[in-house]
Amino acid sequence: MEKPVYNTDIVRSFVHWSLLWGLVAILVGVIVSLQMVEPDLNFPPYLTFGRLRPIHTNAGIYGWGVGVIFATFIYMVQRLCKTPLWSNKLAKFQLWFFNATIIASAITLLLGYTTSKEYHEMEWPIDVMVVILWVVFAVNILMTILKRQEEQMYISLWYMMAALVGVAILYLVNAAALPVSLFKSYSAYAGTNDANVHWWFGHNAVAMALTAPPLAMFYYFLPKTTGVPIYSHRLSIIAFWSLIFMYLWTGAHHLLWTPVPDWVQTLAMAFSVMLIAPSWGSVFNGYLSMNGQWHQMKENYLVKFLIIGLTFYGLQTLQGPMQAIRSFSAFIHYTDWVPAHIHMGTMGWVSMISYASIYYLVPRIYGRELYSVPLANMHFWLTLVGQLVWSISLWVAGVLQAGMWNATNSDGSLTYTFMETMVEMYPYWWARAAGGFIFFLGIIIFIYNLFMTVRKGKDVVAPIVTAAGRN
Amino acid sequence: MDWAAILYLGVTFGLFAIFVAIVIHTCRDKHKETGEAPKYTMLEDD
Ligand code: HEM
Ligand code: HEM
Repeated sequence: MEKPVYNTDIVRSFVHWSLLWGLVAILVGVIVSLQMVEPDLNFPPYLTFGRLRPIHTNAGIYGWGVGVIFATFIYMVQRLCKTPLWSNKLAKFQLWFFNATIIASAITLLLGYTTSKEYHEMEWPIDVMVVILWVVFAVNILMTILKRQEEQMYISLWYMMAALVGVAILYLVNAAALPVSLFKSYSAYAGTNDANVHWWFGHNAVAMALTAPPLAMFYYFLPKTTGVPIYSHRLSIIAFWSLIFMYLWTGAHHLLWTPVPDWVQTLAMAFSVMLIAPSWGSVFNGYLSMNGQWHQMKENYLVKFLIIGLTFYGLQTLQGPMQAIRSFSAFIHYTDWVPAHIHMGTMGWVSMISYASIYYLVPRIYGRELYSVPLANMHFWLTLVGQLVWSISLWVAGVLQAGMWNATNSDGSLTYTFMETMVEMYPYWWARAAGGFIFFLGIIIFIYNLFMTVRKGKDVVAPIVTAAGRN
Repeated sequence: MDWAAILYLGVTFGLFAIFVAIVIHTCRDKHKETGEAPKYTMLEDD
């Protein structure tokens, strides 16, 4: 059979743009972390913490996270299905529409237009753009799967399909709103229903955008990098279906102790704890795939990114269920503990796997050897140290904050004023900013290394499958 | 119990039944070889 001609140009473009949005997200992350300790760094009305924070979160999730999803899904689907992309024209349209959507989001958020629903802040005209963008992407990938030349469906394809369908449903349901002007709309739901739908969206966005796609990448790039297959494909399938079955019920763990009905909260709590099983099904599968290959952790920088990224996923999916338990939630909810959880997921799990995927892709789509493996190793350590400093300092801060909020005098009055608890946070917020800066240095080195790979990297005659990552 | 609750429970148990069927199908010995085959395709050259 003749080898199909895959579209790599579009993968290159998505890699470039996701790197740019990733850089913006992380830079704005460092800026907002400094604004929390140095209020003079707020420049009203546009460059205040309140306006920049949603730019950071949306650029992080939709520019960086989803940009990498676009690049890797288009790369993986063609190879897993042994067929070229269904429509190159549609993919090109998707690229420019993606950037237009990100830019429109950034401008409107800076101008202060917001629905005030977290992770869904953009007003309705941008919702329409997001829906068009996702439909175009989903149709292209699903049609490529439909005309596949490979009968077997590898696990990555299942996770990809789940993400495509899942994001579409979640976004559409949560976007239901009544527009009253070009930049103002009111949610179609009211009160607790609105909150419930919103966090059903919020948590499943974590599942469908920040869990399923990195798992698709992990399962694809790990065997490609180590040169050995995953431990068990059947285990991966069972973990996949249990994850899909359980995730949908957990959204209300964001609303514990609120007026949402008790039984809804209890249901969310129970399903969140059950989620440990499918999550760790994947974690064990990943670790067991390394049987006899652990020496590669020392020799191959790609394996380091993948396995430490997976370890962060494992920790994240133990910590998450814990936070979903009412009594624990009563202690840490509203404290700095929660951003520490989030950033272990976004900086540790999502970014590490994204870095590994891009390191794997760039030499192949440009036919060049990576410019510098020592720089890649340095990037790994900066990422790891930056993330740990970020999260550990805020876990400590969160426990301290919760302790101070709960402290009472013998007459029942509060021991500390809110202001006193805020002042206590400063050293930890400085530490968080320092961790963020270390992480930021990492992405600068990453981008420099990739740039030099394209400019000066040695040509490789044939794509290297297993040895490319070794030093 | 009102109709909404019955529907809710029905959907939950319906989904659970589908999930159990998938697990049984995947775990059956008969399915062992075909179930594991896709992982070896990953060793082929891209
Ligand atoms: C078994 C899996 C997980 C469970 C049960 C879980 C549970 C939770 C809970 C209970 C909260 C709310 C904390 C609070 O506000 O009191 C939360 C927040 C969050 N989690 Fe997780 N988590 C899991 C995995 C993940 C993963 C893999 C990510 C990936 C990045 C992630 C990202 C987030 C984000 C972004 C929020 C913040 C939502 C907000 O803005 O309030 N979680 N998680
Ligand atoms: C240098 C790295 C980063 C720094 C310094 C940073 C900093 C921050 C800060 C200061 C906040 C506000 C926390 C608060 O309101 O108390 C925040 C929130 C957030 N960031 Fe980052 N961030 C970084 C990387 C990332 C990345 C890579 C992503 C996504 C891929 C991300 C996603 C988020 C999310 C989802 C929130 C909302 C958290 C919440 O609801 O509590 N961050 N970040």
